[in-house]
Amino acid sequence: MIQIVIDSLIRASELALLAVGLTMVYDVLRFPSFAHVEFGTVGAFIALAVASLAPDHAWAVVVGATVAVIVSGLLGIGADRLIFSRLRQASPIILMIASFGLGIAMRFTVRAIWGPDAHGYPLPLQRPWLVLGGRITPTAVIIIAATLVCMLAFHLLLNHTRLGVAMRATADNAQLSEASGIYTERIIRLVWFIGCGFAALGGVMLGLATQIDPNMGFSIMLPVFAAAILGGIGNPYGAVVGACVLGFAETIGLSINWAPLLHWAGVTAGYLFIPTGYKQAISFVILILILLVRPQGLLKSRVS
Amino acid sequence: MIAFLVYLFTIIGIYGLMSLSLSLQYGTTGLVNLGEVGFFMVGAYVSAIMVMLGGLPIGVGLLGAIAAGAVFGVLMALPIGDLRQDYWAIVTLAAAEIARLIFLNTNLGSPYVGASYGVAGIPAPWQQHFSTAAYGYVYLGLVAVCVACAYALVRWVGRTPYGRLLKAIRESDEVALALGKDVRRARIWAMALGGGIAGLAGGLFAHFNGFIGPDYFMPLETFLVWAMVILGGSGNHLGALVGTAVIEAIYNSTRFLDISQAHASLVASLRMVLIGVLIILVILYLPRGLVPEGRRRYGGSRAAQR
Repeated sequence: MIQIVIDSLIRASELALLAVGLTMVYDVLRFPSFAHVEFGTVGAFIALAVASLAPDHAWAVVVGATVAVIVSGLLGIGADRLIFSRLRQASPIILMIASFGLGIAMRFTVRAIWGPDAHGYPLPLQRPWLVLGGRITPTAVIIIAATLVCMLAFHLLLNHTRLGVAMRATADNAQLSEASGIYTERIIRLVWFIGCGFAALGGVMLGLATQIDPNMGFSIMLPVFAAAILGGIGNPYGAVVGACVLGFAETIGLSINWAPLLHWAGVTAGYLFIPTGYKQAISFVILILILLVRPQGLLKSRVS
Repeated sequence: MIAFLVYLFTIIGIYGLMSLSLSLQYGTTGLVNLGEVGFFMVGAYVSAIMVMLGGLPIGVGLLGAIAAGAVFGVLMALPIGDLRQDYWAIVTLAAAEIARLIFLNTNLGSPYVGASYGVAGIPAPWQQHFSTAAYGYVYLGLVAVCVACAYALVRWVGRTPYGRLLKAIRESDEVALALGKDVRRARIWAMALGGGIAGLAGGLFAHFNGFIGPDYFMPLETFLVWAMVILGGSGNHLGALVGTAVIEAIYNSTRFLDISQAHASLVASLRMVLIGVLIILVILYLPRGLVPEGRRRYGGSRAAQR
């Protein structure tokens, strides 16, 4: 039982970092960036490249993750300058398709450089700690702790600094903020930097928890979108809540025996597990349910 | 060389059906369907299953492919009919991928059919009556007839009152709603029509290729079709066909490069990077595409336009 909680928290951490970035960009620019998860892939591979320079030292991964966050953040600003800043007046649909194109270009650039194979970070084998009967590796502790720190820092930035106030103002009404003396283009650049930096960190953590391959970003796209929409797209707190729900739903959905629950429906099998091949389907079912029942999300979406 | 050209034009025709389908959904109606490949996959599998397991004639299989594509379109559209296009994008993308997971994880009848093994040995129509060389032309002719019919269909739909409603929805669904139109229903029908056309493309592909597997229907295929429609000019069905020809020519040109096996994967990746960059450049510098949408005049006389 405690193992399910631990696994869910790890998954929720990866999802939260990516979903918060996605929802931030949406909040300010009003379009869902389909390239967002690819910044996670790029980040994971940059961290791998840096960490491989000193494969004997575990801290090389930390240095790599830091470099990955900065480089991905800068890449996000670059993408905005080169592509999205020229489309500020365009409809969200055009922006969405442009981001779709950018995402494909990024994924296959990674594939061209590092090849299609899966990699892992050069870390020594770890002995898991036993906590209340569940097993947790030191890496998993770092993943969860780092995510908590990031979310807390982001919360403080958003609510207790002038920059955070400016960010929220820009998201609420860009024209009015501009009239009040906020340089909104600078805020937009900051949002791209933070959003893509978070995505890169999420990618590194996904790589730590599983493996690193060019398709990793795409494979997590659906749960990330589902988390952001579940929490109310544009609402960073909602994205965290959504990520937790998705993390638990995926882990619980795959690890419990559905047969007793479906007994009333005439299912007589002794055991009935969802095959792991259908992991994505859990996010999909949740996504459809939210859209049918409460399209504005659990917490109120900041975008009408 | 001639054999390659016949192959290339057949593929252009099959993908042309897909881009006509997307042109109707996105170009005319403004629906962001990122699950276009789902229609193609459902059509291919349904036709293959009906012909191989059901023992039905291929023509019936192709009709089944059309019906299956249309039903899949309605199913995708039902939960999201009223929602904004960003929700459409993610739900359609996901729906096609989930459908692919189902085909990837399901055996069809015997142990080595379906699932990750795919379906092999799918028969082609009238093959026994022709030599291999001549048969390429026959199938190309069949595909060409289908493309012509689909093109006529989407053009005709564009001229009906329903087509004008679709364009109104594209420009602003609120305006259409304010005029008392049933926007949700119109969108669902557009998905059904588009799904039918793309389902036919899938059926034609299955019988042309003789083999289908879940790896053939990755979301990348959807992306290629989008590249075709954007490049050709969304809102113009002829443009969609032009875009199809250009993208397929780029996509297949690498087979003339003399590359070793080691570099094949690299070239395949760079090809997709090129198409991704091309989409962005078209959006930035050629937003109306190679063949821009024509403006239709109503009322006949020039004076009425003033």
